Amino acid sequence: MTEQTALERRVQLWFGPQHPGITGNMAVQAWLEGDTLTSGVTHVGYLHRGFEKLMERRKFIQSFPIVCRICVPEPDTNEWLLAASIEELSGLDKEVPEKARWIRTLFLEMSRLSSMLMVLGGHVGAMGLGTAPNWLITLRDYILDRFEELTGARVYHMYVTYGGVRRDLPEGFAERLEANLQEIESKLPLVDNVIFDSAVFRKRAIGVGVVPEEWVDELGLTGPIVRAMGIARDTRTDYPYEKYGELDIEPMTTTGSDIFARAWMRRLEIAQSIDLIRQILAKMPTEGPYSAKLPNMLTWTIPAGETYVRAEASRGEMGYYVVTDGSDKIRRVHVRGPSYVHGVTLLERLMPGTNIADLSALMVSLQVCPPEIER
Amino acid sequence: MDEIIQRIRDNFGVLREHRQRDDLAEVWIEPRHVLPLLTWLKEHTPFVQLTHLSAVDWLEDGEFQLTYLLTDPVGRRSLMVAVRISREEATAESVHTLWAHAVTYEQEINEMFGIHFPGSPRQGVPFILEGWDDIPPMRRDFDTVEYMNRHHPSRPGREHTDPRRYIGQVVGEKGYLHD
Repeated sequence: MTEQTALERRVQLWFGPQHPGITGNMAVQAWLEGDTLTSGVTHVGYLHRGFEKLMERRKFIQSFPIVCRICVPEPDTNEWLLAASIEELSGLDKEVPEKARWIRTLFLEMSRLSSMLMVLGGHVGAMGLGTAPNWLITLRDYILDRFEELTGARVYHMYVTYGGVRRDLPEGFAERLEANLQEIESKLPLVDNVIFDSAVFRKRAIGVGVVPEEWVDELGLTGPIVRAMGIARDTRTDYPYEKYGELDIEPMTTTGSDIFARAWMRRLEIAQSIDLIRQILAKMPTEGPYSAKLPNMLTWTIPAGETYVRAEASRGEMGYYVVTDGSDKIRRVHVRGPSYVHGVTLLERLMPGTNIADLSALMVSLQVCPPEIER
Repeated sequence: MDEIIQRIRDNFGVLREHRQRDDLAEVWIEPRHVLPLLTWLKEHTPFVQLTHLSAVDWLEDGEFQLTYLLTDPVGRRSLMVAVRISREEATAESVHTLWAHAVTYEQEINEMFGIHFPGSPRQGVPFILEGWDDIPPMRRDFDTVEYMNRHHPSRPGREHTDPRRYIGQVVGEKGYLHD
């Protein structure tokens, strides 16, 4: 076959932005020969709302309703990162009460758990398995029940604030959360059976979408993608924040670095999250304030400074680079989501040679969250 | 960290430095040293990861700041390398030969701030905006309200609430969110 005829056989295919196999609203412009991808480009822009710009025009307290919308399945990491970065630059971090730090740790881990339940379901749903997603979304709903009880909202919570959290845990919250955890645990063997024992899933996931170890530092990869190749890196243990340093926690790892390994990482981390939530509930003080006394939020100014604060989202390292200039507004905020690299550079590198039928599975295994790419 | 900053002082010159936390420091350097310094950090120190690249518009100074956040994943620490460039020229050296994902950061900064990175593969290719016909929107002199009023004018007779007045009612004179 001459080069010209090979080019003539190339087909350009737009995958997304509205497609059940796409994670959120983004598109992949793919080129195929037969049913094999030769290259692909990630296109975003369907969800851009200018969050970073909006925050430059608002007082510090007014940014909480903005940041939680940066990631729908896991908004709480954004709330905490905004609070932690501004607290650090203002000096308020020294006044956050002990109990508030424990509640924040609980809140963040509940967020990770609900996100991982949803994503594992979405992962196998994109590969044609219909039962497990329904179960896993139901299990996630139990955690959303607790979020609703705690914050009044199921998805966008706006619960973390400067100096602490907005309210204390309701009476009996820990017992109801424990009942939810037991319910989730009781169903996980069934989930294991329909996903990880499934011949269809194993055939389509093992050995597919392998990320080489040498790309980790070259591309700044983080989170489950890295841990699925056996590298024990986790922001919660590498840069302990809030009360993670007081918990018995080791990064979970597995090997293989393929689609199966990344799905298995999520399953391992679901179990880890349940364990951590129990540890937090056991260690959390019952008495004490849940928030520091705050300055007047309408006139609050913060000294000039810059910082970068990071946290472990279920997808990898999420970070906020924040610059203040002594005024009553953020001068500049840059939201560094893990999907920025995983969904663009990494995905584009993995596409050549991938079968078109595996593209969805590959994308969801990288857990790309488009709004955090475009903010 | 102290040893590496000392070597940066000796070999590249540091205009200003700041230690934000034990695991986070920042150095400001001259623009001509960006590529040599980042190459040296990546090749000869544990700061091998580019965690992010950001721009800040210092409109009042007529300058942009570019901040490169490098991470040492084994030593668990980060170094921010900051450089100020002329707002008028708005050109900086590309680092995509060191880190492939810098292409995306440079593409976005080119689109949002109008800073040009000669040689970077996706300069001028829309990343988030399509058909944008105004000044780059993340520049401080881009007026979001004026743009909105021009492109999306309010319907006559539509009511809206001034958020300042509303928040004032909730917070009260004491200025506390909690009792």
